[in-house]
Amino acid sequence: MICPVCSCLCDDIEIVDGKIMNACKRGCEFFSKYEENRSKPLVEGREVNIDEAIDAAVNLLKQSKSVAIYGLDTTVVEAQKKAIELAEKLEAYIDDNSSFCLGEFVEAVLKEEVPTTTLEEVRDNAYVMFYWGSNPHYSIPRHMSRYTYYPRGRKRPRGYEEDRFLVVVDVRRSETATLAKKNARFILVEDDLELIDSFFKVLEGKAYKYSSDAAIILREMKKSDFNVVFGGLGLKYGLKDLKPFFDLVNKLNEVAPLYFIPAGFHGNMRGFNETLFENVGVVNRFSFKEQNSKEEFAFTELLKREKIDTALIVGTDPVSSLPFEVSLKLRKIKTIVVDPRNSLTARIANVVIPSAFSGLETSGTMVRSDGVRFKLEAIEEREINDVSILDRLVGEL
Amino acid sequence: MMRFTKFLKVEASFVIARHTLISDETKANVEPVVFLNPEFAKKSGIKENDVVEIEREGKTVKLRVKYLEEAPEDGGLIPNGVFANYISDLNKFKKFKAQIQVAEGDPTSLEEILAKFKS
Amino acid sequence: MPITPMEIYKWLPKTNCKKCGEATCMSFAFKLLNREKKLEDCTPLFEEKKYEKQREKLIELLKPLEEATETGLIVDEDLCVGCGNCVVVCPVHVELDPKGAAIGKGPTIDDPILRVENGKVKVINMEACRRYGKNRVLCVVCRENCPTDAIRFLEG
Repeated sequence: MICPVCSCLCDDIEIVDGKIMNACKRGCEFFSKYEENRSKPLVEGREVNIDEAIDAAVNLLKQSKSVAIYGLDTTVVEAQKKAIELAEKLEAYIDDNSSFCLGEFVEAVLKEEVPTTTLEEVRDNAYVMFYWGSNPHYSIPRHMSRYTYYPRGRKRPRGYEEDRFLVVVDVRRSETATLAKKNARFILVEDDLELIDSFFKVLEGKAYKYSSDAAIILREMKKSDFNVVFGGLGLKYGLKDLKPFFDLVNKLNEVAPLYFIPAGFHGNMRGFNETLFENVGVVNRFSFKEQNSKEEFAFTELLKREKIDTALIVGTDPVSSLPFEVSLKLRKIKTIVVDPRNSLTARIANVVIPSAFSGLETSGTMVRSDGVRFKLEAIEEREINDVSILDRLVGEL
Repeated sequence: MMRFTKFLKVEASFVIARHTLISDETKANVEPVVFLNPEFAKKSGIKENDVVEIEREGKTVKLRVKYLEEAPEDGGLIPNGVFANYISDLNKFKKFKAQIQVAEGDPTSLEEILAKFKS
Repeated sequence: MPITPMEIYKWLPKTNCKKCGEATCMSFAFKLLNREKKLEDCTPLFEEKKYEKQREKLIELLKPLEEATETGLIVDEDLCVGCGNCVVVCPVHVELDPKGAAIGKGPTIDDPILRVENGKVKVINMEACRRYGKNRVLCVVCRENCPTDAIRFLEG
């Protein structure tokens, strides 16, 4: 069984004698509590039947002048494709969480601006591994034990202390940082740019704030023909401009091969990025009306600047995940929530359409953080799911 | 029990991050908690289970204190979610400075914040 | 926090009466920790009224021992996130499960020492652990790679 909660997409989950085997706490909660706090079909807070809810959504969308479709990182690729089709039909904006998460990282990889690889290749070959601005222990719990630091690999048979070199970069001594013991390095940064500059300076033979760390890491990198850096949210928000980081990755490739993989995010965020990229050449924030992608087309910006009158929110919870000053603007527009859970946003939405969980109740494709695709088979296939709901909306509009 | 300590306001650094041990994947509940670095907390006279008021840009949120060694040395960690986002903004989304002081009463409730969406 | 023999000794009668079969109370404290003796072996502690408070204190102190496995490994479920570091890093697993735990997957053998079940690590087959038994080795690899100290050994 494949777990769809985070972008690790662990495929060794089993249910034996009612016990969920191998899934971390996040995955276990998903598999054991999927029946809890389910959403119901609602129109203006009144419970209705599913058809009435969908009809109400259709009406709202027909009456709207400016629609944004938002979310989609927890749905299967087949649903994401339907959402894009719908956005095109409505000349709507379409955006996912990646516009405030790691969209730029996925984009850099898809545009081949930095070299990348797969997690299996990392497990089998990688020596120096950076976790930069990422604390996998709580966000992608099995990342280190499944794919990176701890497992043995074909070219790394001796495991973590002898065949791996871990570098953790963070603004605090996180849980992951405490694992950087022997043959490892924890770098406490205040400003990521200072560390980036330190590497550049050391390569020029000059000194800077973190030159001793940088020198040691460069020395280790040279020992191997396969190194990897995982970039997380801390890095994205630590830099105003990500160009220096990507420049560094490319520069370091002159020292030794260094690959880049975004650390992790929602189960199918990369699926959305790749699907939209295939369609229109960008990973997020696209306007089908203007046939263009701009920073101001991000859902957060559209809300802030009051550019939309209706939002179709699929499998995400902006009331929970966006700054209050932005999510409060949802009050001023019509909101349609498509979600299997009674999320915080569902509690304040105009229309709620209860959906099914991807990977558990809906079969479909999901894309791991490194781009490897998985076909998830539903255990209890539900007829009413993201794909069928979006398909119906496309049909009626 | 009377408190004789003055409630001093201190500036602290916070990071916003996922904390899987207290997060609820079912979205039914959200815990109003802040994880403070124990050294920082003790220096500032804040004990575990105290309720603190964290203020930033004119908005305040009240959270219950838990100690966490892995929190930033000069402040704390607020778990991802509606309480962290009440005082964050798009420019300072994952890391910011805010004022913290011990407060009276209960932590902010989810209903209080959701009510603002209805009015 | 590990319990030390000294902490146990503090509450024993300290008479060296040898009724438990040991020469000294200190020796008994060590054997208690090792699970080679039970608290009930100290008959004066249970038969004499003057030791009532000490007996209660000792029962409380030794409670974690009851919950621990044969080799004194406790998992604090409040701190465990099911990351699997301990399962993958275990040298016994690496040897016995080269196609499973050794390469990062969930164990494919029937009786691994540790396994993540329902999101937390559970002890399955402690007998295979190198820490105890006749040829015991001071192996602390699982504990060392748990970033939240969810795994602890009783003797420290």
